[in-house]
Amino acid sequence: MAETTGTPAAAPDLSVRLGPLRLANPVLVASGTFGYGEEYADFLDPGRLGAVIVKGISLLPRPGNPPPRLVETPAGMINAIGLENVGVDRFIDAKLPLLRQRRATVIVNIFGNTVEEYAGLASKLDGTDGVAALEINISCPNVKQGGMVFGTDPAMAAAVVGAVRARTALPLITKLTPNVTRIGEIARAAVDAGTDAISCINTVAAMAVDIFSRRPKLANVFGGLSGPAVKPIALRCTYEVLQAVKCPVIGVGGIGTATDALEFMLLGARAVQVGTANFVNPGVSVEILEGIERFLRFQGLDRIEDFIGTLDAECLFPFAEDACGILDLP
Amino acid sequence: MPKFQENALILDHREVADRTWLMRLMSPKIALEARAGQFVMVRVRDGIDPLLRRPLSFHRTFPEEGCIELLYRVVGKGTLLLSKTVPGMNLDLLGPLGNGFDLPAPDARGPIALIAGGIGIAPLFDLMERIALSNPAFDPQEMNLFYGTRTVAEFLALSYFGALGVRVRWSTDDGSFGHKGYVTRMFAQFAEESAFRPESLYACGPLEMQFHVARWALAHDVPAQLSLESLMACGLGACLGCALPAASPDDPAADGYVHVCKDGPIFPAGAVQWQKLQVHRPPPPIFLSD
Repeated sequence: MAETTGTPAAAPDLSVRLGPLRLANPVLVASGTFGYGEEYADFLDPGRLGAVIVKGISLLPRPGNPPPRLVETPAGMINAIGLENVGVDRFIDAKLPLLRQRRATVIVNIFGNTVEEYAGLASKLDGTDGVAALEINISCPNVKQGGMVFGTDPAMAAAVVGAVRARTALPLITKLTPNVTRIGEIARAAVDAGTDAISCINTVAAMAVDIFSRRPKLANVFGGLSGPAVKPIALRCTYEVLQAVKCPVIGVGGIGTATDALEFMLLGARAVQVGTANFVNPGVSVEILEGIERFLRFQGLDRIEDFIGTLDAECLFPFAEDACGILDLP
Repeated sequence: MPKFQENALILDHREVADRTWLMRLMSPKIALEARAGQFVMVRVRDGIDPLLRRPLSFHRTFPEEGCIELLYRVVGKGTLLLSKTVPGMNLDLLGPLGNGFDLPAPDARGPIALIAGGIGIAPLFDLMERIALSNPAFDPQEMNLFYGTRTVAEFLALSYFGALGVRVRWSTDDGSFGHKGYVTRMFAQFAEESAFRPESLYACGPLEMQFHVARWALAHDVPAQLSLESLMACGLGACLGCALPAASPDDPAADGYVHVCKDGPIFPAGAVQWQKLQVHRPPPPIFLSD
């Protein structure tokens, strides 16, 4: 720290704006990795986070997929939970009050089997106190209907986002799947249909098998890969989406350290979600927040906004001009 | 009950049977709250591979001394790395997690049965010690331990149980020591021949073994507490990865799940739909270095 010059006396301003949504800081916890908040009560104060995105909620409770539901892979894990959840009514009655009590900013992740179900959830949550925004999940790879079906086709994505937009004034975030050829097209469709922000990415479709039992390691056969292994994919998707649309983007995928988080923000993500890392280290999201603050102080920056989107993409090859000529770059 | 993340100092670590390691750790907060049958999530090393923690149940706990002991078997990459750690190093622990065993009532006098399959001995040892300590009137000879492994080299030494004074019956799958055959077979045969009806039954071992224990307990109407296992990512009830198909007495067709980390790991025999279970088998040891 001796090297730093002019360390500001005041703490850096970590607040970020995502369209209509203002967050105290850019560190969120990803849906499905933080339960309904209470599971982590012994390890951190959810009120310190930018927001808590709760486990995906459907109109009716869902039991989820049969086990085995998860498998560990190099620097990652594959899950096929199947969106097990308590249903929207029980969420509002039993889970939301605890999060509100702890002063958490709550974003509710919603999913349905049909466009109407998404719209129904939006209506129900629109009038609910303590919901800061909705995250529309059109990207879960582990359920037969709904989920990713909506997220791989621009017209379907637009239909879901449009139906939700028609039912609520809450800020809307649309969570995209990386399992498409051109993620920018899906992002554009979601923005045109009225989403206020994009979460990028959900898990990467994946598989694991056992050579001794000669079976898939997941009962669902396929699952979603998450963890450090997917970070480079998530960075690429985030960059593509940022090129395609003007709306705020939340970076998700393999974030486990402040450095990881700052990489997404360097590209232009206005916030990040910490996912699988919560399983490994329950207090990691707050550690990441503190790491970001340390980084800003070290860099002499007063505001996180001054760092977001400052990637110098022109300077990928700091060679002499003729060197670029040899490489025959465009 | 509070849960803690503790950076625990390894005090002692040795191989006590074939690929079976005993580790003693300084972990005062966790030791003070621990119950027999609960577990800790162990981060076997820093870094991202292996990524997830490993669930290990308490083998012994010493609340006054602030120590815990873990007994584990090397079955994969994570436990192999764990076995390379040495005293003086620290391990990141989360715990205590899960529900734990219910001890017999204070006026209980037994007999009780404990069935251990392989490394399943780990939590049952803590349970036997707790019963002996909390209930001096309970004659240790009324604790009947049925202890089976694949082969003799995998047993914890007999002397280990001497101080407790419990009654131990041994079985090996290959007949290299004690009864030849599965421990559940030995137990059922013994119960049949000597009209043995325990007041309660405690078991820990592979899911196939637990399936047979559960069947016996349900058929003979003996209350059973089974320590079940599953792969899990968090141990806290957030990932929902450790689901087992739940049996619902009201609606047998109901499609629900229990979660090993928060509803268990200790379950009554009737809590799980055993016929729907898919068993996860660890790879043969020769492939461990992969």
